[in-house]
Amino acid sequence: MDGENNLSVIKLKNILLVTVPDDPGDDIIQELQTKVLHAIEKYQSKGLILDISSVNILDSFFARTISETTQMVALMGGQTVIAGMQPSVAITATELGLHLGKAISTLDVDRALDIFTDNFKLV
Amino acid sequence: MNHSHSKYLSNFKNWAEQKRFLDFTEKDVEFLKKLHPFAIEYADSFVDQLYEHLLQFPDTKRFLSDEKTLNRLKLAQKAYFMDLTSGEYGEEYYQSRIKVGIAHQRIGLPPRVYMSTYCYYMQLIIPKIYGNPMFDVETANGVFLALHKIINLDQELAISSYIHAIDEVISRQTEEILEMSTPVIQIWDGVVAAPIIGMLDSGRTQQFMERLLEAIVETNSPVALIDITGVPQIDTATAQHLIDTINAVKLLGSQVIITGVRPVIAQTLVHLGIDLSGIITRPTMASGLKVALDKLNIKVMDNPRA
Repeated sequence: MDGENNLSVIKLKNILLVTVPDDPGDDIIQELQTKVLHAIEKYQSKGLILDISSVNILDSFFARTISETTQMVALMGGQTVIAGMQPSVAITATELGLHLGKAISTLDVDRALDIFTDNFKLV
Repeated sequence: MNHSHSKYLSNFKNWAEQKRFLDFTEKDVEFLKKLHPFAIEYADSFVDQLYEHLLQFPDTKRFLSDEKTLNRLKLAQKAYFMDLTSGEYGEEYYQSRIKVGIAHQRIGLPPRVYMSTYCYYMQLIIPKIYGNPMFDVETANGVFLALHKIINLDQELAISSYIHAIDEVISRQTEEILEMSTPVIQIWDGVVAAPIIGMLDSGRTQQFMERLLEAIVETNSPVALIDITGVPQIDTATAQHLIDTINAVKLLGSQVIITGVRPVIAQTLVHLGIDLSGIITRPTMASGLKVALDKLNIKVMDNPRA
């Protein structure tokens, strides 16, 4: 399973960064969750940034997995930030009533990093 | 324009139905044909009398400004008399009647002028029908009724196309108003503002949401002010649309501040039991902007040298 889908979890100091590919299948989303949780265990990361700026379609499985992953990451002592959601994705998510649970959203990865470096008031 | 299919404008098939509804039959066609020789004989005189009449009233005179127009219209009227008694009431006839209605609407001729013109003609035609020694009473009645029916059909088409033309104008204006009423403006680095004017229905919400979200991403703004000063009244549907928009903005990673909450709006929100407690709300756009700048750690100061 490891590396099968070219999904890379990048460690930046005490944060993990994952770029979600365009139109991720259910298996990729599942793999993402497992990889992230293992990486948190390994590096004791304080945070996870999911860059979803290339994602054009958000389905209910994806939304639920993000919401659940956020909870799991929280149980392991981390905060999840969703970065760069496309407007069309946000509209669809609202129309379908999808929720991302306790995940925080930011406009881009820069602002997500700001949240962890604590010089940004908007949380 | 994609409103070509108006609910007011019939098509040719419906028109056939309308003829049946009026009981306009071959018998009527035959009666109308009997009038054709009269149309040939009297058309010139009738039309001249009509325009003389129309020229006496300033309201109608203004449509007959010059000699050229007048002559063109007189010719068209004479042709109409020929058509009216020709016995041919097919698609060509139908189309020409529709065109008349649209043309009248375009030049701004009031329907009452169009309608009363028929009344004036009837005054001239009726004595010719009943005074004709070739027609017995029964024939005269038949001719009169047939004429009444075809005129009714004509009027219905012309008036429907009048309404259709107006309907198109209204649809176009509605679209334009919709476009104009949801601007999104960047008012500071990191702050966009969107004043809503008028009621927020579901159609507008969709468009408004799209524009706002795109502007937020484009300007990379963490704060969006939605100003509802121009919203006359708020109901549960409008409030829900607002909440949906706020949620979508939140998903992007930006935050909404609702500004322009007037006393009447505040009262309604509480009475309707709409909970906006998780959302920052302010009475004016100015106070909302202060909150936004504060969130972005921006300080605005008086110039001490001034």
